[in-house]
Formats: sequence, structure tokens, C-alpha cells
Amino acid sequence: MVVGEEVGKFLALRLASGALVVLFTSALTFFFVNLAPGGPSSIMNMTATPEQREALVRAMGLDRPVAERYVTWLGGVVRGDLGTSLTSDQPVAALIGERLPNTLTLAGAALGLSCLVGIPMGILQALRRNTWLDHLLSLLSAIGLAVPVFWLGIVLILVFAVSLHVLPSAGLTSVSDGSLGDRLAHLVLPTLALATTILPTVVRFMRSSLLEVLGAEYMRTAQAKGLAARVVLGRHGLPNALIPVLSAVGALVPRLLGGTVVTEAVFGWPGMGRLALDAANGRDYPLVTGIAVVVAAIAVATTVVVDLAYTRLDPRVRLS
Amino acid sequence: MARGSATLASIQRDHERSLGGVRQMSIAVHLSSRGIAALALAALVLTTACSGAGTPAASASQAAGSPVSGGTLTIPIVADPTLNPWSPNAFVESIFPNRVLFDGLTKPGKDLAPAPDLAASWETSADGLAWTFKLRSGVKWSDGQPFTAADVAFTFNDVVLKKELAANHAGDYAALKSVTVVDPLTARFDLSRPFAALPSYLAYNSGLLPKHVLSADPLKTVSFNKGVPVSTGPYKVEKYNAGQNVTLVRNENYFGPKPYLDKVVFSVVPDPNTQIAQALAGDIGLMLLDDKAAIARVKSASNLVVAPRPLVQYYWLALNQTDTRFTDVRVRQAFVQAIDRQAIIKAVEQGYGSIANTAISPALKAYYDPSHASKYPYDPAKAKSLLAAAGWTAGPDGVLVKDGKPFRFTMDVGQKGPLEPVNALIQQDLKKVGVVADLNTMEWNSYIQKVVVRREYTASVNWWIYPSDPDVFPYYHSSAAGKGFNIPGFKDAKLDEILVRGQATSDLEKRKAVYKELQTYMADNLPYLFLWYPEEIDVISSSLQGVPALGLRDSMHYIGEWWLAKK
Repeated sequence: MVVGEEVGKFLALRLASGALVVLFTSALTFFFVNLAPGGPSSIMNMTATPEQREALVRAMGLDRPVAERYVTWLGGVVRGDLGTSLTSDQPVAALIGERLPNTLTLAGAALGLSCLVGIPMGILQALRRNTWLDHLLSLLSAIGLAVPVFWLGIVLILVFAVSLHVLPSAGLTSVSDGSLGDRLAHLVLPTLALATTILPTVVRFMRSSLLEVLGAEYMRTAQAKGLAARVVLGRHGLPNALIPVLSAVGALVPRLLGGTVVTEAVFGWPGMGRLALDAANGRDYPLVTGIAVVVAAIAVATTVVVDLAYTRLDPRVRLS
Repeated sequence: MARGSATLASIQRDHERSLGGVRQMSIAVHLSSRGIAALALAALVLTTACSGAGTPAASASQAAGSPVSGGTLTIPIVADPTLNPWSPNAFVESIFPNRVLFDGLTKPGKDLAPAPDLAASWETSADGLAWTFKLRSGVKWSDGQPFTAADVAFTFNDVVLKKELAANHAGDYAALKSVTVVDPLTARFDLSRPFAALPSYLAYNSGLLPKHVLSADPLKTVSFNKGVPVSTGPYKVEKYNAGQNVTLVRNENYFGPKPYLDKVVFSVVPDPNTQIAQALAGDIGLMLLDDKAAIARVKSASNLVVAPRPLVQYYWLALNQTDTRFTDVRVRQAFVQAIDRQAIIKAVEQGYGSIANTAISPALKAYYDPSHASKYPYDPAKAKSLLAAAGWTAGPDGVLVKDGKPFRFTMDVGQKGPLEPVNALIQQDLKKVGVVADLNTMEWNSYIQKVVVRREYTASVNWWIYPSDPDVFPYYHSSAAGKGFNIPGFKDAKLDEILVRGQATSDLEKRKAVYKELQTYMADNLPYLFLWYPEEIDVISSSLQGVPALGLRDSMHYIGEWWLAKK
């Protein structure tokens, strides 16, 4: 009962503060993107005449003060309207809704892959600390962190699509095929590329966290009790070691979403990252703001979920 | 309770720290991204060397055989297109599909002279103020409705001339007063001043819109622009997959011969390196190669042909004429001889281009005067003597000085195409003759605002692409100085007079004479410093046949003649 009440209070508090974060993000984004030099691409077009530019500024309402436009935009948001894109005349919410699932698929696949591979790798490294295997895997992580996604992406395409012809080069599906198999084949390379942005971090966290736990007194106690090594690790070691990793993974979600910008551009993946890039380049003010708000909301939601999960995993952590 | 939250906080702090470390690493990586890009190029070369070693492909496009129907052609574009040639949001990614979908009254002929498209013939009145276009009969829109002069009047009167709509390149039609429907198959264009280039301009991104579909909202109808538009071209949109591709199928109502290709797919591939990789993998049948550094790689692939094409485009260096240092023609002539333009063409165009000393491109064969090409050879000594004659003498540090002030200024650089390396090369060349140019590099939209909109610049390099006609009035007339397309703000009564005379002359031989005079005057006076005429590099699948030797944008008007050889 008390726990339930606590959770409810916690949730209400976190959601309220989360809403503030999102509001703050929207204001910052709105003002900064408007302050950025240049204007929407249709206005900043080499071949637009001064008269056309003036007409466009009026048509887009950009002749009104930024603060006034922000308030208008905010009013729309309350009614569930994120505004209209300046470059496609489509509702921002519809554009994001169309692209968000693709980004979540890609980011989810990359996150899943990073955990499936990264956690065992980290465990292995911790258990074989300072062996050649540990050093080799550390080297691989360092390389993984150092290699930029756009380069890795192109290399993956060249190897698997151009030379070996085993996977499609880019896109969400083939033009003539949209089957599940086709979709999965298209997902492989971008997932590999995107996973490298976070996989090494997951490995490092798992390794250092398990090492810390292995040195803890309760582990020695468990061993002293005469428990088998496997049980010591499985019942006392890993659950405790995984807790900080969980929080790390939560903190990696924003970086993962950031990584989709480059990955989606390289692989022609129709996701929100690419939409964000196009919107920023084209100074599509409402679209940039809308995307920032959605990403902020995802980041806030992730931390709330991670914090809730914490209380389940670590009874010492209380919600307050 | 306190302890719990302290643990949480300290864990989070640890993460912050390590994430911060990672962030720093990624910044370091970004700093060396040029080196990394070079690595990627090297990897490309390696893999193409492995996969593409084989017979030279250059002769493949000449492979004989009679056209066969069938096949799908995929062409990459960099973003989702706006399927409406007059939308102010129809940028470079929209030009290919729009030229396939929307016919104009005229189209660029294979010699780039205007050729009949939806207009069968046209004539001008004696005073040059009225043009009458006879329309092709029996033309239908893709939805089966008849195409008539009412659609022509709608496109121009209700879209192009409606100032508040700010239609794309409406400025090209500044001379147009209105279009009158004479009868269903005749439209008359009434002008406020003679405009001999009208038929050429009508061939340039001036596709006609269906009145019966767009009369409510001509430029912002989303189901049209981002969906399935009603059009007259050889292909029509089958499906618009946002972020992925736009697929086109034959327009059964098309007035011309049935096109060969079953399907044309405009595939959205934003990354140029991915486009090249897709071409190497055989996923792309035709593309425009922006990054000419990649030519060698593509040439080594047996499935691709590299085709250089002439373009109606030239690069220039604008010297702001409000800066008195640049109003002396000797200074401009000195600059143009101080800059090693051949070296620039070699460096950024891999040699695919030629030196420009006027605005008229060699692609305009009927008008281009080749005699000016050798007028200003690279000659730093000559440049120095011209500068000395203009009063600039070497100071103690080698920098030229006049009236106690060093010859130093800022060049604004937009991040687009080859502009960054070009500016760096010009900077080095100017330094050799004692002129200091500081480079101020910025993102493209910021650049346009600063240089083009506000004219807050001293010197800047950029380019013009213009309709296939020598009428360059908008870029040179004094009325466009300071606000229109006359970027340097050059004002010259004689130049104005020649430009106006050209617009009033519709007889071809007489026009040629006028524009010959224009080229001589331009080469002598250098209103802009002309740099070079680039060539376009098209990458074509060796199985794709029938693509005319035109720039790819103009080629799109002939897509009905393209065909895929059976493998």
C-alpha cells in the first residue's frame, strides 16, 4: 500500500518535472532555431527575388515577433497541434508520426543488439580481467568508439551490398518487395552501424560494474558460505552489477537517438533523425521544434522508466 | 531514504563523467573527419578494385541495338520532392521528377534551343509584346481531362503572377502582364516589354498545372505536391512513399509515343557516398555525380558509364561594387589573371570544365563566342603590373598598399559544392600578388542571408545556373543591383543597353550579333570575375540506352526515349 502510494507520488512528481523539461526544451529550441542566421530554405533561395522573399515571410507569418509566434505555437500544442511544416505544408505531428516508428525500430534493434552482445562481453572481460582476451575486447571497444558512424556505414554497404551482394545497400524496403524478410534484411546494416555508437559503452559499464561487485564484501561472504562460484555470480554478482548498467543504458537513449541522424542519412532510412537533419538545414522552425519536443519526451520517459525499474532491482533505492 | 538517493545521484554522476569522456572523443573524431572521409574513399577504391576490375566501360553506351520495352530505372534524389514546379519548396531534389511529370509549353531541344512540347508552334507580334502559342491538340491530363489554354492561363495568371503566392522563379516572368485564352487551343502572352527569350524560359522548370485540380490552392495542395499529382508527362506518379521513394508508371493518357521503361523510381538517398555505393551495387541506373573526386572509382566499375555533359552554368567571384577598390577595372582584370583557374578546374572538377570570361556558356552553341576563352591567361606578373598601375604598391611585408591601407578583405564562403576548396585556392593565388583575402566560412542558409539577401559582403564565390538562353538581364542589369540577382551591384549604361537590345531582338541571326557584342563587353569589363564553366558528370548504368548528351535535368524531357538493354 505504502509502496503503491509512493510510486503514485513519485510518478506524479516526475511527470510534472518532465513536462517542465519538455516545455523548456521547446522554448529553447524555438528561440534558438529562430535566432540561427538565415531563414527557411524557400526564403534563402538563390533564385528568389526580394519581392518573393517578402511575400513568403508574410505568408509564413515570420514577420511577427518570435515570442508571439511561440505563444501561438504553444497554444496549438495544448490542442494537440504541433504546427505545420514550412517546407512541406504538412502537419508536423503527421510527419513525425510517419517517421517515428521507423526510428524506434532502428534504435530499438541497435539497443537490443548492444545489450545482447555488450553485457556478455562485459561479463567475460570482468571475469577474465587482465588476460589477452580482456585486452583484445577493450581494444575492439576503443575502435568501436573511435570509428565514426558515417564511415562505418559506407564500409558496411561496400562490403555487404557492393562486394558480397548479400544485403541491400539502403532504404527501408525494396521498391517491389515489402515482406518481413525484406524489411529485416534492410534493418541489418543500419542496426550494426548504429549499435557501435553505444555498444562499447555498454561493455565498459558492464565490465567495471561487475569488477566492483566482485570485490564487494557480500561476494566474499557468499563465497565463504560455500556457495558454488556459478551461484555466487548468478545470484549475488550479476543482479547487483546490472543495476548501474541499466541506468547507463537509459542514459544512452538520447545518444542513440542522436546517432540515428547520421545513420539514417547514410542508409536512406526514412526515420526522424533524417527528418530532423532536413528540418534544421531548411530552417523548418515548427518541424525542428516538434522533433525536439518528441525527443525530449522520449528521454524524460526513459529516465522515469529506468528509475522505476531501479526500485524493483535495488531495494535500497527509494523513490523520493 | 537519503542514502538511497545519494547512491542514485553518485551513479548518475559517474555516468555523466564517462559519457563526457566519450563525448570528447567523438569531438576529436569530428575534427579529423576530413581524414576519415579520405579513409572512406580509400576503402571505396579498394572494394571497387576488387569487384569492378574488368573491361573498360566507356564504350558501353554506344552499344547498338533497337529499343525494347520494360524494366525499372532507379534515380537517386537527396530528399523528398515537392511535385509542383512552382512551389517555393521545390528545390534541387524536385527538379528531376517535376521535369518528367509536368510538360511545359516548350522543352529544351537537343541543341538547347526551345522545342515544341505542349505548344505545337508559336509566333510573336511585330512589336514583340504579344506571343501567341498554338497548343497541341488532343492532349489529356493523367486523369483523362482535356488540357486546354485555360490551364495555361491558370498556371500563369493565377499562380506565377500572383505575387502573394511567391511562386518559384516567378521572377523569370517579370515581363509578363497576363495570359489570355484566345480559344481552347490558343493562348496569348502579353508582355510589358519585349522578351525574346520567352520560349526558352518556358522550357525551364515551367511545367503547366491542371486548373481543374488546383484552382482552390495551387501551391499548397498536399495530396498533389506530396502525393499523386495530375500531370501531362509520359509518366505519372504511382505512389509517393515519404522518405523512401516516388514511383512512376506510364501515363496512359500521354500524347506522345509510349515510353519504353515500365517504371521510373526516384529513390531518396541523402548521402552522396551511399548514392555512389548504390550505383556500384547496381541499385541505381542513373545519377548525377556531384563529387567529382569519385570519378576514378566509378570509371573502374564495369557496370557504369561516366558521361560528361555541357551545362548552362558558370562560377563567379563577385566583388562588391560599393567597395571602391573594386570599381577600377584594372583591379578586376588583375585578379582574374592572378587566379590560376585551370588549376581550380583540375582540382575541383577533375578537369571537367573550361575557363569562363563571359556569362554565356559554351553549352549555348549558337551564341557562345570562343574567342574570349584565352583572354586572361594565368599571369601573376601581369596582375602585379595592373595593380601597380591602379596605385597598389608593395608594402614592407609584401602586402600591397594604397593610401596607407593594405589590400585586405574578407571572402564569405558558403558550405556547398566545391566552394570551400575553391576559395582556399583563390586565397593562395591572391596572396602571391600581395592581396590578403580572409575566408569566412558559414552554413548555406546563413550565407545566402548575408551575401545574397543583405549584400553584407566584400567578395564571394558562387555560381549561376540559368535557362538555356543568352538573356542574362536579371544578373547584370543595373535595375537588379543591390537587391536582385546582380550580386556585385555592377551598374553600367552600355551593358544595360546591350541587355535591353537583346531582349527586343527575336531574329536569331540578329540576336547572335547582340550577344556576341555582350560577350565582348563582359570580357573587357568583368562585371563579375568569371571563373569557369563546369561540366556535369552523369553516371549511367551500361544497360541504360537512349539518354541524350544533355545535362541530366534537360535529359529528363526525353525520358520516353530511354530504354534498358536486356542482360
